[in-house]
Amino acid sequence: MEFKLEAHRIVSISLGKIYNSRVQRGGIKLHKNLLVSLVLRSARQVYLSDPCPGLYLAGPAGTPAPPPQQQPGEPAAGPPAGWGEPPPPAARASWPETEPQPERSSVSDAPRVGDEVPVATVTGVGDVFQGGEADATEAAWSRVEGPRQAAAREAEGTAGGWGVFPEVSRAARRPCGCPLGGEDPPGTPAATPCAACCCAPRPAEDESPAPPAVCPRKRCAAGVGGGPAGCPAPGSTPLKKPRRNLEHPPSGGEDDDAEEMETGNVANLISIFGSSFSGLLRKSPGGGREEEEGEESGPEAAEPGQICCDKPVLRDMNPWSTAIVAF
Amino acid sequence: MGLSFFSKNLPIQEGQPWALTTPADIISTVEFNHTGELLATGDKGGRVVIFQREPESKNAPHSQGEYDVYSTFQSHEPEFDYLKSLEIEEKINKIKWLPQQNAAHSLLSTNDKTIKLWKITERDKRPEGYNLKDEEGKLKDLSTVTSLQVPVLKPMDLMVEVSPRRIFANGHTYHINSISVNSDCETYMSADDLRINLWHLAITDRSFNIVDIKPANMEDLTEVITASEFHPHHCNLFVYSSSKGSLRLCDMRAAALCDKHSKLFEEPEDPSNRSFFSEIISSVSDVKFSHSGRYMLTRDYLTVKVWDLNMEARPIETYQVHDYLRSKLCSLYENDCIFDKFECAWNGSDSVIMTGAYNNFFRMFDRNTKRDVTLEASRESSKPRAVLKPRRVCVGGKRRRDDISVDSLDFTKKILHTAWHPAENIIAIAATNNLYIFQDKVNSDMH
Repeated sequence: MEFKLEAHRIVSISLGKIYNSRVQRGGIKLHKNLLVSLVLRSARQVYLSDPCPGLYLAGPAGTPAPPPQQQPGEPAAGPPAGWGEPPPPAARASWPETEPQPERSSVSDAPRVGDEVPVATVTGVGDVFQGGEADATEAAWSRVEGPRQAAAREAEGTAGGWGVFPEVSRAARRPCGCPLGGEDPPGTPAATPCAACCCAPRPAEDESPAPPAVCPRKRCAAGVGGGPAGCPAPGSTPLKKPRRNLEHPPSGGEDDDAEEMETGNVANLISIFGSSFSGLLRKSPGGGREEEEGEESGPEAAEPGQICCDKPVLRDMNPWSTAIVAF
Repeated sequence: MGLSFFSKNLPIQEGQPWALTTPADIISTVEFNHTGELLATGDKGGRVVIFQREPESKNAPHSQGEYDVYSTFQSHEPEFDYLKSLEIEEKINKIKWLPQQNAAHSLLSTNDKTIKLWKITERDKRPEGYNLKDEEGKLKDLSTVTSLQVPVLKPMDLMVEVSPRRIFANGHTYHINSISVNSDCETYMSADDLRINLWHLAITDRSFNIVDIKPANMEDLTEVITASEFHPHHCNLFVYSSSKGSLRLCDMRAAALCDKHSKLFEEPEDPSNRSFFSEIISSVSDVKFSHSGRYMLTRDYLTVKVWDLNMEARPIETYQVHDYLRSKLCSLYENDCIFDKFECAWNGSDSVIMTGAYNNFFRMFDRNTKRDVTLEASRESSKPRAVLKPRRVCVGGKRRRDDISVDSLDFTKKILHTAWHPAENIIAIAATNNLYIFQDKVNSDMH
């Protein structure tokens, strides 16, 4: 169990590093980011493979890249099944990216993101992106905007990462958290505020709701930095921008005269990781809570204005995985 | 080991206006020239400071062989790449001296993207007695010139002039981590994370790419180049180290593109030491050929290893620098210390190797006697002619009086850059923004 905790912590620290590296002077350091991504992968493998009674690990343990097998439209067939029972509604509610197939959650995003944007590194992670729908990329990218505002909060985050990511996740937990097609059972804590979200039940290919959805989300999380001020304007344009910025023309990685460092792929990498971690969202409120309570109680307690979500649910959300995707 | 070091002169920073630790003053590289007469340091602010050893004189026996500031110049300035919206740091990553071929000295200095060749010349005489110009250089009124004189060279105060002779730009997409001058004295190589280029010292608009490990798909990237060096005698051989802990010896005669190594030096990982951070701590931060050319020295996070060029399977010697950190890797990962890149150095006779550590400690390992010592570079230890006292880090168990416990090590005080005089037992230690120079008190010659 301790291994999982440590792995959890290491992952959040690693993500923080990757994120911070983007704003470091002198540009992104490829070597350091490669090493961080290797640590990230190791920690992820440990996390996935460490059998833990309280968690849904019914599936093959230790599989580094379960998500690839999952195709959209296969509810709970692949890795999510690997994660065991359908997740608690709350977790499910947060993640349905496209179709009202909550079980799939953002795991399916990984392949799609990967489709569009190659990831800078890490063997094994590369497997994560196979097939998938193009729109998921949009969806995944739209989440980038959310946590951007949370970046400011990140500065206040603790080294442990827990202080940072819960907030980030809340901001990023978009509308996607919103019940698409009303799938979420009533009483889903996460879904409650969503009712107020302006995000319309969005079809899979619709990317535009994301930005508007973010805003209400963040307004919910009053007291958490960012807030509405950081909301991107509704519409698809803002979505495209981050994607373009982060996505270098790496298709094939051909060299051209103005060869980029292709460190933008690091951001994509994080999305991939995020999706891979989506399974972590599947933890039962009971099991997950037990495990993470010790870790998160501190940062959680520090978060004011958590009016939109239930605390235990938040923990189960595995906030930092959201943050990962947000990057 | 028979070496006891004492401080030759006060830490260089004393009395200097930049005694405060501003980030720009942090020393980022230290390098003796081939005779040891000159010592160059580069810092984060893009400056190069060259020290010269004073000739020993009978008049002042106590100040024999001290290093004094010889020249200071701004080598690199911060730049901004507008196309990629990237700021290019001016920090000097490496300095390498060229072998001296005439009265002038030359060195190469590099930041992340651009390498510059600097020529350092002295002027200690100036012509006086011109016919057409007066003392201040103004043209004379010709009517006042009544006789002809031959200008004579008169001594003047020594002036050291530094000028950039070549600028090797736009050769690298990634960050340059090392440069190395070939023994042919005509070419040199520069290495970044994924590529190594070969330059001719006289040609700046072209370079040859000799190593390219960039995968077709960046997703498949698993390792990067961390350091590289030419063989000291064989101008066709060079080595480069990787983040996976391997060394590749390449022969430029074999092919134009040396992607295929001639030899691969790699030690299998010890499975009992596996952790989340195994990959990070196995990344080689520095590689140095021995003066003999027979061995290579590598530094990774916890060890220094000596490799025999004739044996690829494993190093012939491994020395633990600070193994007590093995249990603290997670904290060191959090505070980024695990990414620190320590350098390593041989002494002139290849019998002793040296590397830095934390708490301003540096370590020396005698390859013959297998003894090692930990010394500290600090103000207290560097009073003139104070003998450095060996230090010890205790890891629990019996603690002696002057021991430092692992938990009280100061990880902000790290010695990343060290250099050993090519012939004598004089070492230069860079501790953040301070430069310490120590000399063996027993005898100045290497043994």
